Amino acid sequence: MIRRLSTVMAFLTVSVLSYGQETFPRNGAYDERSGRYAFTNANIVVDSKTTIQNGTLLIENGLIKEVNKQVKIPSGTVVIDLKGKYIYPSLIDLDSDYGMPDVKTERRAGGGRATPQLESNKKGAFGWNQAIQPENEAATLFTPDARKAEDLRKIGFGTVLSHSHDGIVRGSGALLTLTDESANKAIINGKASSHFSFSKGTSTQTYPSSGMGIVALLRQNYYDADWYGKSGKTQEKNLSLDAFNSLKGLPSIFETNDKYSVLRADKIGDEFGIQYIIRGGGDEYQRLDEIKATKAPLILPLQFPEAYDVADPWDADLVSITQLKHWELAPKNASEVAKASIPFAFTIAGIKNKGDFWKNLRTAIEYGLPKEKALEALTSVPASLIKAEGQVGSLKAGLLANFLITSTDLFSKDNIIYENWVQGKKFIVAPLNATDIRGTYALSINNQPTGKIQISGTVEKPEYKVILQDTVKITLKAVLTNELLTITYQPDKKRQENVRLTGWFTGKGLTGEGVLPNGNVVPWSASLSEKYTATAPKDSAAKKLAETGKIVYPFTGFGNEELPKAETVLIKNATVWTNEKEGILQGTDVLVQNGKIAKIGKSLSAPSGAKTVDGTGKHLTTGIIDEHSHIALFTINEGGQTSSAEVRMSDVINPDDVNIYRQLAGGVTTSHLLHGSANSIGGQSALIKLKWGANQSEMLIPQAKTIKFALGENVKQSNWGDVARVRFPQTRMGVEQVFYDHFIRAKEYAQNWKTFNAKKTGTAPRRDLELDALAEILASERFITCHSYVQSEINMLMSVADSLKFKINTFTHILEGYKLADKMQERGIGGSTFADWWAYKMEVKEAIPYNAALMYHEGVTVAINSDDAEMARRLNQEAAKTVTYGGVPEEDAWKMVTLNPAKLLRVDDKLGSVKAGKDADLVLWNANPLSVYARPEFTMIEGTVYFDRKKDEDKQKTMAVERERLIQKMLSDKAEGKPTQRPQGAQPRMWHCEDIVGVHAEHAEEK
Amino acid sequence: MTKKKNNIFNRAVLAAMVAVTAHFAHAQNPAPAAPQTKPIVLTGATIHTGNGQVIENGVIAFDKGIITQVGPAGSGNTSGAEVIDVKGKHIFPGIISLNTTVGIQEIASVRATLDFNEIGEINPHIRSLVAYNTDSEVIPTLRGNGILLSQAVPQGGIVSGSSSVFYTDGWNWEDAVLKKDDGIWINWPSFLARSFNFEDFSVTMKRNEKRQEVIDKFSGVFADAKAYADLKDPSPINLRLAAMKPLFNGSANLYIRADYAKDIVESVKFAKAAGVQKIVIVGGDESYKVAAFLKENQIPVVLNPTHRLPGRVDENVYLPYELPGLLHKAGVKVAVTYADEWWRTRNLAFLAGTSSGFGNISSEEALQFITRNAAEIIGADKQIGTLEKGKHASFLVSQGDILDMRGNDVEMVFIKGGKVNLDDKQKRLYEKYKDKYGKK
Repeated sequence: MIRRLSTVMAFLTVSVLSYGQETFPRNGAYDERSGRYAFTNANIVVDSKTTIQNGTLLIENGLIKEVNKQVKIPSGTVVIDLKGKYIYPSLIDLDSDYGMPDVKTERRAGGGRATPQLESNKKGAFGWNQAIQPENEAATLFTPDARKAEDLRKIGFGTVLSHSHDGIVRGSGALLTLTDESANKAIINGKASSHFSFSKGTSTQTYPSSGMGIVALLRQNYYDADWYGKSGKTQEKNLSLDAFNSLKGLPSIFETNDKYSVLRADKIGDEFGIQYIIRGGGDEYQRLDEIKATKAPLILPLQFPEAYDVADPWDADLVSITQLKHWELAPKNASEVAKASIPFAFTIAGIKNKGDFWKNLRTAIEYGLPKEKALEALTSVPASLIKAEGQVGSLKAGLLANFLITSTDLFSKDNIIYENWVQGKKFIVAPLNATDIRGTYALSINNQPTGKIQISGTVEKPEYKVILQDTVKITLKAVLTNELLTITYQPDKKRQENVRLTGWFTGKGLTGEGVLPNGNVVPWSASLSEKYTATAPKDSAAKKLAETGKIVYPFTGFGNEELPKAETVLIKNATVWTNEKEGILQGTDVLVQNGKIAKIGKSLSAPSGAKTVDGTGKHLTTGIIDEHSHIALFTINEGGQTSSAEVRMSDVINPDDVNIYRQLAGGVTTSHLLHGSANSIGGQSALIKLKWGANQSEMLIPQAKTIKFALGENVKQSNWGDVARVRFPQTRMGVEQVFYDHFIRAKEYAQNWKTFNAKKTGTAPRRDLELDALAEILASERFITCHSYVQSEINMLMSVADSLKFKINTFTHILEGYKLADKMQERGIGGSTFADWWAYKMEVKEAIPYNAALMYHEGVTVAINSDDAEMARRLNQEAAKTVTYGGVPEEDAWKMVTLNPAKLLRVDDKLGSVKAGKDADLVLWNANPLSVYARPEFTMIEGTVYFDRKKDEDKQKTMAVERERLIQKMLSDKAEGKPTQRPQGAQPRMWHCEDIVGVHAEHAEEK
Repeated sequence: MTKKKNNIFNRAVLAAMVAVTAHFAHAQNPAPAAPQTKPIVLTGATIHTGNGQVIENGVIAFDKGIITQVGPAGSGNTSGAEVIDVKGKHIFPGIISLNTTVGIQEIASVRATLDFNEIGEINPHIRSLVAYNTDSEVIPTLRGNGILLSQAVPQGGIVSGSSSVFYTDGWNWEDAVLKKDDGIWINWPSFLARSFNFEDFSVTMKRNEKRQEVIDKFSGVFADAKAYADLKDPSPINLRLAAMKPLFNGSANLYIRADYAKDIVESVKFAKAAGVQKIVIVGGDESYKVAAFLKENQIPVVLNPTHRLPGRVDENVYLPYELPGLLHKAGVKVAVTYADEWWRTRNLAFLAGTSSGFGNISSEEALQFITRNAAEIIGADKQIGTLEKGKHASFLVSQGDILDMRGNDVEMVFIKGGKVNLDDKQKRLYEKYKDKYGKK
């Protein structure tokens, strides 16, 4: 209490107006004042649509009383004449951490693999996961920070929504003013919002360790909270879920860092009927249509990438076209978002040097952002997003007296913010009525004409020069305070002697006393000879809208300005590998219409508008389907738990992955994106078509419902070092029990729901996303792809499945499948294997390249897969090896990368063969596709050509031109002295299924 | 379909398999070939000599392990010789696999089987020669696909050690070695450094700030080694410096692992200034950028696996496949290899095949990347690399084109005239399970 009083006292000494808290005792006499001020003759910008010229703003007790052209000013009001000046509502930031404790993320020593932490470190009756912290309340955590408040006020902010930026569920946010008074005063809404992110923050708990794990955890948390609110609370106390439920209905703000996480966040919201306000990463322009469709209001950063130093062409190669283009287009983001009519607010968060805020905002305006939108994004929009439009965000009567007094238009380069009023309290940023002393003065020292003083610059920051008789211009040092002026200058630089003058402004000139280098004290004066006239700004070029290159889809060098479209195509006279009973047909035509294969036959005639392709000497096949892939994903493994059946790879699809394009260039059209093999029960897989440039939902084939399982060394963590001796299981014996345990629970779970659904009375069981997925397997609605190597474990899983009456769909890798081919065949289990991998670890010691052939001859449906972004682009060569090793007929070898994976993925009704009615996913090869010399002429998906050899060659040329255009632009920036950064690039990532929590296994042998 | 690997075993092996219980004797690699006892002539094959020449219906004769004749049908003396008709088949020089860890690395996850990475920074005295294990189960999978020579290369450190080149058949390393200590391998510090960000799992590439330190170390050790080489009777004896002596008289190569263009230029200039006589660039991802420099300085390039992704997102999708051809066309001597991906090495011919399929070069030119060029690089082109009179009778007979999966079906292998047993553990497992399923 004593500390508090002394703080208040300290404020009293510097401020005119101060409020005590009603309940707080005072030290000394009460000093309550009405705080009634009238600001007259001002241009009052009430909001972006209303400006009152020459109006009056009346405030009292920290609130706006009246704003109007004519206001009756009560007696006892301090009247401030603001002739010609402007009043704006002060700015609002919704993504602030003002006054919050520092969030310190513990870095794992050395990174990489560490001993798993399976439980939360947070003690008390909280939830199970350390990254879910709905119980965190910004209002409780808040302590005012005088320095930060002052910094923000100087920029023009008056109100911030602050929250603790820690964890996936972050608790409530508090709406705070940037007053220098007590926290009690600053908090204007203690529970203004609820906050979320995709970052674990300080959580050291292993789960979740991946993007899709975070999504799954968040989903599950919503279900848990719902269950807890309805019935769970009678069974147990969970402060986290209590808090979570208490925040329901508040504006929910989701922090993300890129366009795809914006979409991901919104998708979660859609599942639970919540429209998040989403804090984006500044690259929204790259997927604007999709982001608009989310209907999410956005909070946008104003941080733009610095140019790279691209002077050295080889160094510059490191910088991708994506980076170059984003550098060019990032300042245009807000303008594009505004053009798309997406409501958005700005945040200062993310700007490294906060002083760049106005510069960056003005850049955004130069790139086409209307000023009204900019103002709204900093005032009315953030206010309304958090339902605080009755408190802040405009200058309407009844709102807080939070406003700025400025010299001119807020966004003008010359504008000066004089004062930032917070809750009716003045904070001076620059002197409001500084005397304009600019002009040219005739200087006389000791009554001798000595030369001229030129004062230019701005009123607030004048610049001084002395011109002596001999026309030598000398910059002088001057200090001006309240019309008192100190001047020092060296008449002769060589002699390093200073003339020191002190004086004051008289209204007509300057006068005072000086000391010469010889010690003589002399009078001096300077009379105004010429008034200052501003020179017109020469940056007329800046008025012109900044020009930029085109946005491409996806946003990479190989992206397209216009997405390719489905065509009617007649391929004539090709060797057609039908994968049907017709076999390989010579000299055959195939007609593609409406994305489907329309006709196959001899001498077909081209419908009007059809494109004809000569297939003479070429081979036409259906597109390659890679049954085991990890391309186009942001993360691979949720290794935090033994089972992660709740995670969905569809949550982390990355349509920008250049490997999509590269694989099209190898004839691949469909990829089965699997979870890794870090745990026995992995995640739900995603089957995608490689539609380069399309968005996630356009790529996804939703009817394929599959899940990844794994056995062996990875799930028992034998090759992860001694740190990985914690998580169950550690042996193949334990792996069996994982399956029994989980499936028995899933059976019970499914039964509980069945019982509940039949009666519809009593309390509903808790929805469990992990058990949902397993129950789907039991109901034959979801199909297992199981990573497997040695025969014992393969036999084990088959026997577990038999006894629990579920089906295994596919064993993948299955390098010892040849030892159990008969058992697999009996059960109708497919084998998706490598052509010839072995020796990289103990469990592949008995792998043989004849594996596929032996399984094939035994009647197993065999696929050859890649598990490798590189090998995937020559799966045709891998399929050919089954001919070499074990004598599979060529026609059937080809099916191992096309029809058979389609069967295993249960999409062979649409994919996998050249048959009328099926999807026109076709590849034209220059040679027999099983030959090492074969390469695709084009790769088509649903009648749309996504890769074309000729166009690829052209594209390389246009990419070179675009790259050089951007580099030239960057070099001009460098020449203008703009800051640059050293080139750095992102290494293309190659995921394999053993990349643990995204940590890429550096050694090929760990594949 | 033509005859396949599933039935290429010679009768002796099949007989042995029937006679011996499966899980006991079969754990071993088969015995190496016996020395050639009498002249042999193969007739009727298409002979790919490795220097661009193709002889249809050709004849190849060899005696005491040395080729005595390569020519068209009817040429050469067949009297007293065993004549084998290989009509319709194809004969290729033995494939040479440079830059590998075969023989010094067995199972990646089992530390006890890893003998390629010694501790210490400057290890010119470390020799793969003595660790090369002829009983590695990987080796027979190489010769089964036509790879008859393999260079075992120490990894690690900044001077990794000394490599040797072995036949893929032999009782022990002393027996198998073709060229001892053929060169010393160094890891040039990369111009760009990768750093992994554990926050978002991204890898960033930026300028390596620590490289000058390494280059200074090289300067020191090469200067000392050169000075040491001048001593007639050095004392004290320094094993490291002594091991580097052959670099300065041209009897051993300096293999410089360098991928970026700047690294290549800088390291070559360094090595020349240091007095190194024979320089080879290994890795060479960006060697195409400095092809003229390499040609001018007559520096050959040993490429790392070209079945890889492009190095940068904007790079030509097919650039790695085209790379050997680009260098070849620019006049740079190039070999393709599998580097430390030892178990994949059996696919070496397909790397060459891919370079032809995706590059603007013929398959005969591509063949040289794994035969003649490799032999010249290691300085063994008097013995191996092409099929010419006087060279080792080390070659293979395949059903078809060895560079294509559709033709690579090795039926016979001769190493220095001895007929090699092509059996291996994988084939035995294949037979065993064919038996199980009653499929013949």
